[in-house]
Amino acid sequence: MTMSRQGVQPTEVIDRAAKLRFRWNGKRFSGFEGDTIASALAASGEQIFSRSMKYHRPRGILTADYWDPNLMVQVGDDPNVRAGHRLLESGMDVRSQNAWPSLNRDIKAANSLFGRFLTAGFYYKTFMRPQWLWPTYERVLATFAPGGKIDLDTPHAYHDKRYTHPDVVVAGAGPAGIEAALAASGEGASVLLVSHEHAVGGHLRYSSDAADQAALAELRAALDASDVEVLTDSTVTGRYEDNWLGIVQRNHPIAVERLIKARAKTLVAAPGLIERPYVFEGNDRPGVITSGAARRLANLWGVKPGERAVVFSANADGDAAAADLERVGTEIAAVIDGRTGGRISSTSGSSRAVDAVVADGASIDADLLVVAAGWTAPTSLLNMAGDRPVYDPAAARFFPSDPPSNVLATGGLAGDADLDGLRQHGAATGRLAAARAAAVRHRLQSRTARALPVDGDEPAWAPDERVPLGRDPHPELYRADTHGMVDMSEDISSKDLVAAAHEGYDSVELAKRYTTATMGPSQGKLETVNTVAAIAEARGETISQVGTTVWRPPYAPLTLGALAGRMFEPVRVSPIHPWHEANNVSIIQAGQWLRPDHYGDPAAEVRNVRENVGLIDVTPLGKLDLRGPDVPKLLSLLYVNKWMKLGVGRVRYGMMCAEDGVVLDDGVTGRLGEDHYMMSTTSSGAGGVWEWVENWLQTERPDWQVHVTPVTTAYASINVAGPKSRELMSRVCEGVDLDAEAFPYMTVREATVAGVAGCFMWRIGFTGELSFELHVPAGHGLHVWEALMDSGSDLGVGPFGLEAQRIMRLEKGHFIVGQDTDGLTLGPSTGLGSLIKLDKDDFAGKPELAWAADRSLPMVVAIQPDDPDVVPEEAAQIVRGDTNEILGRITSSRYSPTLNRSICLGQVEPDLAAGGTKVTVLLESGERIGATVIDHHAHFDPAGERLRG
Amino acid sequence: MAGLAGRLRKRPPKYSAAALAWKGLRGQSWPRVWRDCDLQRSYDAVVIGGGVHGLATAYYLARNHGMTNVAVLDKAYLGSGGSGRNTAIVRSNYLTPEGVAFYDRSVHLYEQMAVELNINVMFSQRGHLTLAHSDSSLRTMHWRAEVNKLGGVNSSVIGPDEIKKECPSLDTSDHPRYPIQGALYHPPGGVVRHDAVVWGYARAADHMGVEMHQKTEVTDILCEGGDGPDGKGAGGRVTGVRTNRGDISTPIVINCTAGWASLISTMAGVRLPITTHPLQAAVTEPVKMFLPTVVVSGSLHVYVSQTDRGELVFGASVDPYANYSVRGSLEFTEGLAGHVLELMPGVSRMRILRQWSGLCDMTPDYSPVMGFTPVDGFLVDVGWGTYGFKAAPVSGEQMAEAAATGRTPKLIEAFALSRFDNGELVGEKGAASVGH
Repeated sequence: MTMSRQGVQPTEVIDRAAKLRFRWNGKRFSGFEGDTIASALAASGEQIFSRSMKYHRPRGILTADYWDPNLMVQVGDDPNVRAGHRLLESGMDVRSQNAWPSLNRDIKAANSLFGRFLTAGFYYKTFMRPQWLWPTYERVLATFAPGGKIDLDTPHAYHDKRYTHPDVVVAGAGPAGIEAALAASGEGASVLLVSHEHAVGGHLRYSSDAADQAALAELRAALDASDVEVLTDSTVTGRYEDNWLGIVQRNHPIAVERLIKARAKTLVAAPGLIERPYVFEGNDRPGVITSGAARRLANLWGVKPGERAVVFSANADGDAAAADLERVGTEIAAVIDGRTGGRISSTSGSSRAVDAVVADGASIDADLLVVAAGWTAPTSLLNMAGDRPVYDPAAARFFPSDPPSNVLATGGLAGDADLDGLRQHGAATGRLAAARAAAVRHRLQSRTARALPVDGDEPAWAPDERVPLGRDPHPELYRADTHGMVDMSEDISSKDLVAAAHEGYDSVELAKRYTTATMGPSQGKLETVNTVAAIAEARGETISQVGTTVWRPPYAPLTLGALAGRMFEPVRVSPIHPWHEANNVSIIQAGQWLRPDHYGDPAAEVRNVRENVGLIDVTPLGKLDLRGPDVPKLLSLLYVNKWMKLGVGRVRYGMMCAEDGVVLDDGVTGRLGEDHYMMSTTSSGAGGVWEWVENWLQTERPDWQVHVTPVTTAYASINVAGPKSRELMSRVCEGVDLDAEAFPYMTVREATVAGVAGCFMWRIGFTGELSFELHVPAGHGLHVWEALMDSGSDLGVGPFGLEAQRIMRLEKGHFIVGQDTDGLTLGPSTGLGSLIKLDKDDFAGKPELAWAADRSLPMVVAIQPDDPDVVPEEAAQIVRGDTNEILGRITSSRYSPTLNRSICLGQVEPDLAAGGTKVTVLLESGERIGATVIDHHAHFDPAGERLRG
Repeated sequence: MAGLAGRLRKRPPKYSAAALAWKGLRGQSWPRVWRDCDLQRSYDAVVIGGGVHGLATAYYLARNHGMTNVAVLDKAYLGSGGSGRNTAIVRSNYLTPEGVAFYDRSVHLYEQMAVELNINVMFSQRGHLTLAHSDSSLRTMHWRAEVNKLGGVNSSVIGPDEIKKECPSLDTSDHPRYPIQGALYHPPGGVVRHDAVVWGYARAADHMGVEMHQKTEVTDILCEGGDGPDGKGAGGRVTGVRTNRGDISTPIVINCTAGWASLISTMAGVRLPITTHPLQAAVTEPVKMFLPTVVVSGSLHVYVSQTDRGELVFGASVDPYANYSVRGSLEFTEGLAGHVLELMPGVSRMRILRQWSGLCDMTPDYSPVMGFTPVDGFLVDVGWGTYGFKAAPVSGEQMAEAAATGRTPKLIEAFALSRFDNGELVGEKGAASVGH
C-alpha cells in the first residue's frame, strides 16, 4: 500500500497554497494547512505510524480520526497526541512512540514469534519463582508500557477555565446536531453547539455526494446567521449530575486546552456513530482501513489510500467508499457485499503491508482492504446520565433505553433515516430541548432570590412527540470465520478473549480486566462491542445477554493542565507583615498564613519577654463575632464548661470537644456587650470552628437568635507581653484604666490605642507573663504595631515570633490542640477535666465525656528529662524499660532559656501520670534516657503570679 | 448431582513458565479459574461479598481450618466492588501499634502470595513516600516512624534531597505553594495487581472445594431467637440467607460487603456505626516509566503511582457526603489535577483517560470492625473505609480463625464491634492515607 496525494477534491479541507514543514522521527516532511499529522504523513507515503504494545507489530492507519489507536505520536513534549486528529502545524517535531531503536526496525517485534506463549494474561501465570527475580522481571515488563515520554521540564502552561449556563448544549455537529441547535435557537433558547471535529458537518464533510454537500452548505449558512455559539475541535467529555457538563476545547487561541464547565438545562446527545472494525486474520496489517478512513483520506485531504483495493461493504458507507476510491485513482479489485453473504476471511502479506485479501474463498491481489462492517453507538453521555443502552440484533448496534428527560438523543445514536429524516428528527429534538429548557429556566427564575421577574405559570414539561427514527437492518458482523485483533493497541485478539472466557473470565468486566481489552487510548470506542461479541460467542449467548461495560467519563481524554486550570492557593499575611519583612524575620508557613517564626534569636526573644516586654503578631488567631440573645446557649452547647453567667467585660477560657469527646479546639471568649461576644479559636482551627458553629446553628438549633461573623482578618491582633507591658500600654492607650484592680486578668475592655478607636484589649496571654491582647481594626494594625515599638524603645520592647511563644507556652505548660492532643485525646486527658460540667443540660460530646469521667485515660503531662541538656524529639516514644512496649510519647519539647533545661509535654498511660513518676524515653537515635513526670503542667511559675500582675 | 461432580474435581494444573510453554506448543487451553456451580441448599458457612476480603476469608477457612463446604456470594462479579476500584497500595507504616502489627502481617502475606496462591499478583515493593508539607505533618511522620520502628517496620523520615533521589519527578524546591518539607519513607510499601489477588484467592479456594457464586444477591439474612422482628437482633442466631436464587441454610454468615456493609448487617438486625462514602479515583493514558515510587500527600489530598502499563493511577480523600452513588464528579478530577501538578508540574500534558469511584464503609475511628456480633453466627469484616485492600490477606486469615474456632484472635481483638459500647476506640485517623 502506498498512499499519495492526488488532484484537488471538491470537498477537501487543505489549503494547497499553504505548505507546512515539520519533522517526523527527525526527517523533514511537509504537508498543507488543513492536514492532520497523519494525513500529511500518509500523503508523503508513510505507512507505519506506531508499534503495538505486546508484539510491537507495525501499525498503520485504521480509522484516520481521533479514535484511531494506531496513530498515537509524540509532538514535542506532548505525549500520546492523536495524529489522526491533531492539525499539522509548521515546525512540529513529531515522533513515533513505542518503538526502539526505530519505527522501522523494532527489536521487540521478535515477541511476535512467541505469540502462542504470550496469551492474554500470561504474566499472571509466570515470573513467580524465584521470588527474588520478580523485581527484575517487573522492570522488563514495564519497558513494554506503551505511550509517549514525559518531559519533566514541561511548564504548567496557562490554562483558564470558562463557566457557561446555556439553555441547550448540543454534543455533536452532524446534520441532526446542527438542526437541533438551529431549532432550539429558533425557539429563543441560548445554544452551545459542540463539534468534536475541526468543522461542523459530521459525516457530510467527507461525503462526495452533491446533495450532501449542498445540505452542508445550507446548514453552515444557517448556523452563521443564527445566534448559536459553535465550538469546534471541542468535546463534551462528561455529563455529571443535573446536566453539569465538562467540555474540553482544544483549539483555544491562547490555551493549550481549555476546560469549559457548562450547566445545561437540556443536553442533546448527537455524537453520530463510530465505525466498528471487523475481526479476521490479518485485520491489523497496515492497509486494512475502515470505510470512514478511506473516505476521509480521499475527500478531506486528497489522499489516495492505495493502488488496488478490496472493499468489504455491509452498508451504504462502504459502497460510497468504493466510489470515492475510484475517483482518486484506486483500482477496485472487488467489492464483497456483506449484506448478501459475502465474507472476507483474511489478508496476507508482510507484517507491514497487505498484498492479498482472501474473500469468499478466493485470494485477490490488493494492497488495500476497506471494511464497512457496521457501527458502534457512542452512548457514553447517556451512560453517564444513568441510561443503560439496549442491543438490537436486527440493526447490529446498541440504542438508547430510557435516558433522563433532560437528555435527548438524536442522529445516528437514536436511529437511522435518510438525510432529510435525520434533519427533521434533529430539528424536532431541538424544539423539544428548547421547550424543556424554558420550563427549567422559568422554575429557576421564579425560585431564585433577586432573579429577573418572570411572568405566568411554569410551562408544562413538554411531552416527547418526536417521530422516532427507524432502524435500518444491518448484518451482525463482528468476527469472520478466522480470528484477528480486537484491540489493536493492546494486541488482544478474539482468540485471547475466547480463551479468557473459557478460563472463567466470562463477563465483560472480568474479561476486560483480565485481558486489558478496551483499556487503551480509545477506551473501547472501537473495541467494546467486538469484545462483547467474542465473549458472547465463547459462552454461546447473545450480545444482549452478555451486556456491555459502563462507559465512564471522560468521553475524550483531557490534560491534567486543563483540569487543574490556574492554581488558586491563597497566601495570607497580616497587615503587619511589611514590618516583619523589614526586620530580619524568619518566616514559617502555618496553614495558609505566613507568620514570623523568629527574628534571629528566639531564646533572646524569650528572655526579653520575661524581663522587659515583647510584641507578637497573632493576627491568624481565629475570631468570631457573635451577636444575639442566645449566644450564651450556643457557648454552653459547644464548650464543655459553663457560660450562662459570664458578665459583660469578662473573659473565660473554654475547651471544645467533638461529639466523640475528643478535644476539638480551645480558646477564650469574651463578653463585649449585653448581646455581643467575641470568640477566639486556635489559628489552625479558625475555619473548622466557624464551620462547626454554623453547622450546629443551622442544622440543630435554627431557632436560636445568634448571628455569627468570622472576623479573623478584620482585626490585626497583637499580644503585648512582659513585666513592662502595662507601662508600654499606658503610653498608647486612651479611655481605659489599665490598673490591675480596674482591668484585672481575664477581662476585656474597648479602648483607643495609638489614636485608633474601636480596639479590643484582653488581659490574657499564652506566655505566662502580664499580657494585653490587642485586636485592632486591620487597616490600622501596622500603625499600632509601629506606635508600640516606638513608644517602648526605652522599655526594651522587641518583637517575638512563634518559636519564642512556643517555648514560653511550653514553660507554662499550655497544651496545643492537635500537637499535644491527637485524634483520640478525650477532654479529661488534657488535665482540664474539672472544666467539664456534666451537670449542664447538654453539650457537644457530653455522652462520651460522661462515660470517660470514670475511666482512667492517657494523660497529657509535663516531663523533664533527667539530663537537662538532652531535648528529646517531638515524636520520641515513652517505652517500658528496655522493651518495645509503647507507654506514651513526647508531644512537645524545647530547651528552656528561662530554666536552662530541657522541658517537655507528653502523653502517657494513666498509671504513669502521677507527679514524680520515672519514665524511659526512646530517642530517635535509639538511645534510652530517663525522665520524670512533674506535678503540674507548668515548668515555670506554676502559681501564675506573673500573668496576674 | 452436578454440584457433587463439581466438587470432586481433580487438581487443576499449576501456573508456571513451563506450563505456559507446554500449553502454547500443544495449543491447549487452560481450565476454568473457578467452577460454575449449582447453588446448594446448605453450607457450613456463607460469605457475603466476593471481593478480596470475602475470598481471602473463604480461602483461609478451607486452608487453615479444613472448612470447604463454604459458599462465597456476590451480587455482581468477583471483585466488582472496592477490590477492583482501589488504587492497590500496600503498606504497613501505620500510627498505632495495633495498626502496625496488623498491616505488617498483611504485607508479609502479600510477599508470599504469588508463590502461595500460584498466581503472579505482581507485588511491586517499590517504596512508599508520604509527603509532609507542614511542620505539623512532619511531626506526625516522625511519630509514625518511631512507632513503626518499634513494631519492626522499615520506615523513616527523609528530607527533600533524599526524596528527590528516590523520586526525581517530584518538585522538592521551595516553589510550590506548600513546599515538600520531608517524607515518611517506607521501602516495603508498594502496589499489587488487585484483580489478580481476587482471582488468586478465588482459584485457590475453588481448588479446595469452596464455591464461588456470582450474580447471587443476598436479599435477607434468616435468624431465630433474637430480640427483634423475625427473630433477628441481639441474642438470636443465624439460620441461613435468602438470595435471588433461593434460600440457603447455614449456621455461619460472614459479612464482607464494604460499602454495603451496614445494609447487609441490618438484615440480621445488627446496627453498625458505619456510613458509606464514595471514594473517587482516576487513571491517565500511559507514558514511559518515570515515577519509581508510590507518592502520597495528605495535605494535597492525593496519592499516585505509575502502573507497569505506564498509567498514573490517582486516588484522593473520600467525598465529604454519605452516598451510594458510584458516578464520578468533574470537581474531583479538577482538584486532583491541581494537586498533582503542585507535586509534579512536568505532567501537565498527561491526559486523564478514565475516572470512577468506589464505596467506602467509614467508621468513627477510622478502624475496621471485625469479628462477632450480638447475633450468634453472624460475623462482620467491615468498616474498612479507604484501606481495606491492603488488609485483605490478614483479615481473611483472622476472620477465618474467628469463624472456625468461635474465638476472637488476638490480632483483631482491638477491632471488635463492642468497642463502640465500651469506648476503646482505635485511632488510625492520622495514618489513613489522606484527608481524614
